[in-house]
Amino acid sequence: MKPAPFKLCMPEEEQEILALLQSYGRDARILAGGQSLVPLMNMRIMQPQVLISLNRCTSLSYINAQGNGIAVGARTRQAEIEESEQIASRLSLLSKAMPYVGVRSSRNFGTVCGSLAHADPLAELPSVAAALDARFQLASVRGTREVSADEFYIGALTNCLEPDEMLRQVLFPALPPNSKSVFVEVSTRTHGFAVVGLAMCASIDSSAICRDVRLAAMGVSETTLRLRSAEAMLEGNTLSAELIDEVSRAATETMNPPHDIHADGNYRKRVACTLIKRALSEVVQR
Amino acid sequence: MNAIDDWTLVGESILRREDAYLLRGQGKFVDDLPVPQNTVHLGFVCSPFAHANITGIDISRAVALPGVIDVLTGNDFVGDILPFKPDIKIEGYREISRPVVATDTVRFVGEYVAVVLAETPYIAQDAIELVDVEYDPLPAVARIEDALDREAPVIFESLGDNVIFKSHFETEGFADHFASVEHVLEGEFHLGRVTGVPIEPRGCLGVIDPVADSYTLWTTTQVPHVVRTAIADHLRLPESIIRVVTPAVGGGFGVKSHIYPDELIVVALMRRYRRAVKWIQDRREELLSDAHAREHIHRIKVAVDAEAVIQAVELKLQTNGGAYANYPFSCTLEATGAARMLPGPYRIRNYKYDVVSVVTNTAPTGAYRGTGQPSCFLAIESMMDRIGRELNIDPADVRLRNLVQPEEFPYVNAVGVRYDTGSYKESLEKALEISGYREYKNRQPKDRLIDGKYRGIGICNYTEVSGTGAPGWRVRGFAKMPGFDSSRVVIEPDGRVAVYLSQADAGQGHYTTFAQVAADRLGVAWSDVTVIEGDTSKTPFGTGTFASRGSVVGGGSIIRCCEKVSAKVKRIVGEMLEIDPSDLVLSDGRVYPLGTPDKGLTLKQVAETAYSMNDIAMPEGEEHGLEATDYYDPPMVTMANGTHVVQAAVDPGDGTVEIERYFIVHDCGRVINPMIVRGQIHGATAQGIGEALMEEIVYDEDGQLLNANLLDYVLPLVLDIPDMEIAHIETPSIDTVGGIKGTAEGGLTGAVPAVANAVCDALSGLGINISRVPLRPSFILAQIDKAAG
Ligand SMILES: Cc1cc2nc3c(=O)[nH]c(=O)nc-3n(C[C@H](O)[C@H](O)[C@H](O)COP(=O)(O)OP(=O)(O)OC[C@H]3O[C@@H](n4cnc5c(N)ncnc54)[C@H](O)[C@@H]3O)c2cc1C
Repeated sequence: MKPAPFKLCMPEEEQEILALLQSYGRDARILAGGQSLVPLMNMRIMQPQVLISLNRCTSLSYINAQGNGIAVGARTRQAEIEESEQIASRLSLLSKAMPYVGVRSSRNFGTVCGSLAHADPLAELPSVAAALDARFQLASVRGTREVSADEFYIGALTNCLEPDEMLRQVLFPALPPNSKSVFVEVSTRTHGFAVVGLAMCASIDSSAICRDVRLAAMGVSETTLRLRSAEAMLEGNTLSAELIDEVSRAATETMNPPHDIHADGNYRKRVACTLIKRALSEVVQR
Repeated sequence: MNAIDDWTLVGESILRREDAYLLRGQGKFVDDLPVPQNTVHLGFVCSPFAHANITGIDISRAVALPGVIDVLTGNDFVGDILPFKPDIKIEGYREISRPVVATDTVRFVGEYVAVVLAETPYIAQDAIELVDVEYDPLPAVARIEDALDREAPVIFESLGDNVIFKSHFETEGFADHFASVEHVLEGEFHLGRVTGVPIEPRGCLGVIDPVADSYTLWTTTQVPHVVRTAIADHLRLPESIIRVVTPAVGGGFGVKSHIYPDELIVVALMRRYRRAVKWIQDRREELLSDAHAREHIHRIKVAVDAEAVIQAVELKLQTNGGAYANYPFSCTLEATGAARMLPGPYRIRNYKYDVVSVVTNTAPTGAYRGTGQPSCFLAIESMMDRIGRELNIDPADVRLRNLVQPEEFPYVNAVGVRYDTGSYKESLEKALEISGYREYKNRQPKDRLIDGKYRGIGICNYTEVSGTGAPGWRVRGFAKMPGFDSSRVVIEPDGRVAVYLSQADAGQGHYTTFAQVAADRLGVAWSDVTVIEGDTSKTPFGTGTFASRGSVVGGGSIIRCCEKVSAKVKRIVGEMLEIDPSDLVLSDGRVYPLGTPDKGLTLKQVAETAYSMNDIAMPEGEEHGLEATDYYDPPMVTMANGTHVVQAAVDPGDGTVEIERYFIVHDCGRVINPMIVRGQIHGATAQGIGEALMEEIVYDEDGQLLNANLLDYVLPLVLDIPDMEIAHIETPSIDTVGGIKGTAEGGLTGAVPAVANAVCDALSGLGINISRVPLRPSFILAQIDKAAG
């Protein structure tokens, strides 16, 4: 529990952060809430030479309406999202998933962007972002660019950020007013990291026809997995028990999830199927 | 003396004195102690291999790092510290020894290979990475079946194979009894490897006193006196110059009742360098190398007649002992514990067991809450259910027919353990009643499917070995385990009371309960009693706090000691007031003739005489001072008991288990502080739920430990623990002083089988027999899938 020596920078301005990133490049890591990075450093699995802390740069803390969506800044804590009424009313999927992300004490410090950047295969937020079609805004002294979850995630604990870039904010496009959201997961215990999870949003009209269905699963591959074929099967169709069965089977048939000490691949596949059923049945019932 | 009927404070739920500082984060643990200037900080280089020869160690890069004082390897300790070789005097045990730092061969991942001495713990950690150790890897064995394979690599050449302990027992005429019975049911039960995971890992601070030429070791132990003796033995030092102190300790659970290499190393190094030495373990080190427990396989055969009465039981038990023999218990603690305790509360007259413990390239095993009992009760309690299913008799009735009946006490079981008193039948009946068991069973559909989930109910009756005295340790071969504990009770000159006790609190609330006991016996206010323990220089010698012995042995000793002191008080006052001492009582801080409270003296007045601080002389022949010392060696064991009933729901969609209701009936004899007893039950049951549903230390086939962190070693969190509905029965012991029985382990022992049986009942409609814990969702779903074909 004793990290290797490192230099700590605590810039107060965004431009300073970007300048530091540019000058230190691969030797540096951004320190957001520290809830993933600090344990890894304590175990010396990560040994960055420089930490560039976001914690004094208050201008990166915000939950803002932007265009047709809501933007969340790099320093915004998970607990702030959990408590935000704006998020609850306009991005209920994010708000519903929040209690599953760690424990209250980790959410007090942990940031939304930190969790997204960390790219843990068992993190909830990447799947939420994928299901919400979020836009990841990456900034460097060279300028900014925007990518989708598909582009952002490369593999377990790897994203497309260049060494001089930071995830500056994430923009969640607003959900249609009649959209329904479900977040479900299964784990060995009630709190902390799960084994498999599923984020879903969809609009269902009075005759049970689905539109704008988006499903993203965690724990079944190296990164969050958008279930596009399932989405296509559902789009414009009536959500019947038969369809739910068919979709959940089809969506998981070709999955080849990883195996670890908590569960084998077959289990993850079986549970992914269960979760799709649960999520779809829940929106029908509502 | 045993039957005390004038309790005053004992039985009251007094709030814990220690909470005032512990809950505010003001407890002083080893790492909180002020360190002397110039303290040396240690870091251990641990083996990354499960089995390897060390072919070279290059320390040059490490010692070149600024702030590194030295780097020592195994050979540097060979003359200084004798290897651990626990003295186990039991047939079938084969001795092996363990150097405190490996010399030629490493035998498990995490074994110490070198010690870094540095000016700060951070530099020590930096230097660890700079010690270049060259290993020549050897084939490793991690699992019981692999260790027993004829082709298996042999871990200790001196043994010839990997068997370290073999034990056989059978009652007279066993084979005939067994053969004469109609039904024989067989079962096989596997328990995963687990460990205690106290919130505070271990640590030591050694401080030298150059004036007295003595050494003080602050260490996170449950057994300070045993640690001191071990240091003296292994370092060949006089005991009188060593002082072992335990500051606040954040949980022990048996893990801290062993003596570890680092404790000896810290003392050796402060002698060598004449500087204070500090080492604080981190969580990874704790999970890699502190005592692990369980990893048992029970193969059991139960011969039962048509009335479901058990006629004979045969057990074959295999345990994974790990790479070395932990000091002082070795791997036999759990092995003999499980085999000897299997008959539990049942009238099993014909019993046979064969135990085999193997050495493997895994961390050494030892004590953890429940030792052996969660394991053997999983086997026997699961068999009770199977008998019920086989003979179509309710499993509760199977148990009722086999319990030792109230009129049979005191009862001596098949292996010779005396059950002095107990409430086995009453406990089960009460548990059935409070849990609505019969109604639940009546409502239960055959397929157990209610609202989309499989729902079942499980029972566990257990006995709980507690307060083990010298005969109990000797019969299991532990030559270096005293068995007694001791106290010194002093009425100070101001009439207040100090209690010095040989034990060491690790969060159990000793400073409250023992003050309660002494205040009760001496008739003083509870707040006027100070309890001092965990310091070998202040307290008389004793065994320590583990194996549910604190209240029985510590409490018993204090009661006897108070008796001695109050006898002296009465003699003095009797003389002063010219009254027969036996007519005097101690109450409200006063001593007076029974029935005339206004007549007597205050304890303070008596103390003034005793300490010669007034004009009243001591009676002729009476020494000054007002104190006594008592060494209390309790009987072999005293047996607590209880019953757990669990209602659980299994989700067939994901294999998760939800505990819907939890009922406990509990009997630990005389209860000192019901609130603290409830706390023990809650905590132990939580650990049992963890062991039943999620906890497991996982080694791969090559002996790599795959989950040495708390992300992957899954402990239950508060939301995983259901409310527990608890009922007490109080059946005092007739063998122990004050009728006290132990209470710290029963929760765990009861929970593992009760949870497993509830799950098994839930899945019984599918024809599934649960034969393994932990019952992780992935395991359960695989069972359901297999049953569905
Ligand atoms: C007890 C506990 C339980 C937890 N359980 C869960 C759980 O169930 N589910 C879950 O998803 N997480 C869980 N976590 C992790 C937690 O959610 C972390 O907060 C999150 O993963 C990282 O966010 P952070 O702000 O703490 O980032 P940090 O730990 O500071 O950083 C994590 C990584 O992301 C990089 N990074 C951070 N911000 C940026 C940025 N803006 N741009 C570029 N790179 C950046 C850092 O350099 C680092 O590599 C748990 C943590 C704890 C301590």
